[in-house]
Amino acid sequence: MSDTVVGATPEAVRDWLIERVAFYLETPAGEVHPDARFVELGLDSVYALTLCGDIEERYDLSVEPTLAWDYPTVNALAGHLHGELNGG
Amino acid sequence: MTGRATAPVAIGSAGPAPVQATPAGRAGEPAPDRMAELDRRLGDPYDDGNPVGYRAVLAADERAELLADGERMLDGYGLNAEFVPVAYGGRFTEADRLVRTLRSVFRRDGTLGLGYGVTNFIAGAPIWTAGDADQCRFAADVLLRHRKMAAGYNELPRGNDFTRCELTADRVGDQLRLTGRKQVVNNIARADAAVFLARTSPEPGNRSHSHVLVDLTALDPARRRYLDRHHTVGLRGCQIAGVEFDGCPTPANIVGAPGEAMETVLRAFQVTRSVLPAMAVAGLDTQLRTVLRFTRARRLYGRTLLELPHARSVLVGAYLDLLAADCLGTVVARALHVLPAQTSVLSAAAKYLVPKLIYEASNELAVLLGARSYLREGPYAIFQKNLRDIPAASFTHANAAVCLATMIPQLPRLASRSWLRADEPPAELFRLDHRLGPLDFRALELTARGVDNLSGTLPASQPAVAGEPALARLCAGFVAELGRLAGRATELPPRGRTIAAGRGSFLLADRYAVLLAASACLGVWRRNRRFQADTGWLTGTLWRLADRLGHEPGPLPDGLERRLAAELISRADEPRGFDLAAPRLAG
Repeated sequence: MSDTVVGATPEAVRDWLIERVAFYLETPAGEVHPDARFVELGLDSVYALTLCGDIEERYDLSVEPTLAWDYPTVNALAGHLHGELNGG
Repeated sequence: MTGRATAPVAIGSAGPAPVQATPAGRAGEPAPDRMAELDRRLGDPYDDGNPVGYRAVLAADERAELLADGERMLDGYGLNAEFVPVAYGGRFTEADRLVRTLRSVFRRDGTLGLGYGVTNFIAGAPIWTAGDADQCRFAADVLLRHRKMAAGYNELPRGNDFTRCELTADRVGDQLRLTGRKQVVNNIARADAAVFLARTSPEPGNRSHSHVLVDLTALDPARRRYLDRHHTVGLRGCQIAGVEFDGCPTPANIVGAPGEAMETVLRAFQVTRSVLPAMAVAGLDTQLRTVLRFTRARRLYGRTLLELPHARSVLVGAYLDLLAADCLGTVVARALHVLPAQTSVLSAAAKYLVPKLIYEASNELAVLLGARSYLREGPYAIFQKNLRDIPAASFTHANAAVCLATMIPQLPRLASRSWLRADEPPAELFRLDHRLGPLDFRALELTARGVDNLSGTLPASQPAVAGEPALARLCAGFVAELGRLAGRATELPPRGRTIAAGRGSFLLADRYAVLLAASACLGVWRRNRRFQADTGWLTGTLWRLADRLGHEPGPLPDGLERRLAAELISRADEPRGFDLAAPRLAG
C-alpha cells in the first residue's frame, strides 16, 4: 500500500520503520530502539535489503538497496527518507 | 607493467608469448574458430598417446597433480584471455560464449579447468566490476602473461558469511598491513596476484570491508606464510591451500571505494555464480558419453545393455537433465546481459539447481555403469574421476544453502509483483545466435526489486504449446505451480524470509528454481528455429522437471524415449557435444 508523498511526516516515517523492524524481529514495536544499529538489533545485511524493498513498495519510490547500510538506524533512515519524500 | 597494446614476452617467463591484444571493439576472431582450435588442441581423449587425453588426465589425478601438459597447452592457446574483458586486451565479451569455450576444457578435465584458470575469472570479477583503469590493466597484464590470480575470500570459520571475515587490512600511511588468514583458496601459493576481501573497519555492518588487490610477488616473505595444501577427494590436482599474514605490508590498492566490498561482491558474484555451473554441464556430458559407450559394448542376456529399456531410460533421462541444465545455465548467463536488474535471483537459482541436476544425473549413470563406476583404471575410469570432481560445482563458491538463502528474502516481493503478472522476457534472451555486447559488470543490481520476467515465459508459452496435448498439460502444470508458490511466498512469516528461515522457505525457493528451468527450456524452444522442428526434447525436459516437482507425469512415452536415444547415439557417433550447441568434438 503506497502512501502519498505529501503528508509523510518525519514521525509517520519513523513509526512505519519501527513497525517494519518489529515485524522482522517478531518483537513488540516498543522494543525497537530508534538509535540502535540495525545490525545490533539483529537485522543482518539481507534484512536490510528487504527493508529497502518495503520502503519502495510503501512510498512508491526507488531507493538504493544499500540505503539501510548507509543509514543504519531507524532515526537515520527515517530522517533521510523524509528528506527524499519531500523533495529534499 | 605495460598497457594493453602488443605486449612483449615478460621477463622471467619461459612460456609462450602473451596473447596478442585484440583491437578494442572487435571482440576477437569469430568464436567458433577459437572453440574449434581449443578442441583441436585437446585432441582425441581416447588416444593413449595424447598428452592431454584421458590416460594422462587420470595419471595426473592419481598423483594429485595438475596436468602439466594441459597447462602448457592452455598457455599456448591463451585461455586466460577469455577471462579478461576486451576493453583491457582480452577476449571476454559474452558470458554464454565464455561458458561454451570453457566447456571444452571441463569436458576433458574439470581439475584442469578449475586449476588452470576459472579462479582467475573469479578473482577478476570484482576488479572488472569496481576497479579503476590501472587496477584493470594490472589484472589483465597478470592474466595475459599466463600467470595466476587468486580469489581470497574464504575463511574456514566463516563459511560464506563474508561480513564476519577476520582478515584485516589496517591503514598505515600509504600502505595497508594485512593480518589474518584466508583458507581454501585455489592457486594461492603460485598466484602472482590476489584479491582479498579484508576488514577495513571495526564497525559492525556492511560498509566495513574492502577488496585489496595484492601483488603477491612483492610481499615480505617474513610476514606471509602459506598454509598446507588441502587434500580433497575430487579436484585432487588443484592446489587449494591458504595464506596467513602477520602485519604484512602492501600498497593501499583498494578496488572500488573503501567499505564497498560487500556491494561489489553482490554484483561480481552474480557473474561467477551464473557461468561456473553452466561450464560444469560439460562434466555431465563426459559422464553420459562414457556410460553410453559402456552400454553399447556390454552384452548381457543376449543383447547390448543399450537395448534394455531400463538402461535406455536412464541414459535418456540424463540427456534430458543435461539439456535442462544447459537451458537454465545458458539463459541465466545471457540474462546477465539482457536482464541485469534481475540476475541477483537468477544467478542464485542457477548456482543452486544446475549443479544439482548434474550431480543427480551423474549418480543415476553411476548405477548403470555399476562396478566400473568404482574402478580407477580401465576404459571407463574417467567416470569415477568426474564423479569425484562434480560435487565441487555445488559446494564451492556459494553452496546450495547459501544460494537458496539468497533467493528466499526476495520471494515475497517477486510473488506479489511478478508471478503470473509479468511479461515474458525479450526474445533475444533466448535467441542463442543473437550476439550480445560486452558484459557490463556495473549494470548488475543488488536486488531484483520484485521483477521477474523469466517466469513470465510459462503463461506466455501456453498458446504456442496449445496444439500438443502433452506439452500443454506440462505447461499448465507449471503455471498452476507458480500460482501456488505465489500464495505461499506472500504469506511467509518474517523469519521465513531470512537466513533463519525454516524448511518451507527453502522448499519454496527450490521449487521456484525448477520453474525457472522450465521457463528457460520453453523460451529456448520457442525462440530458436532449429529447436522447433522437434518437440521431443522439450517434452522430455519438461517431463523430467514436472517429475522433480512431484507432479507425477508418469514415465516418458516409449516412442519419445526411443527417438531421444537415437539422437543421443547419433551425436555420440559424430562425435558432437550433448548440449544445446552440439559442437563437433575431436573425439
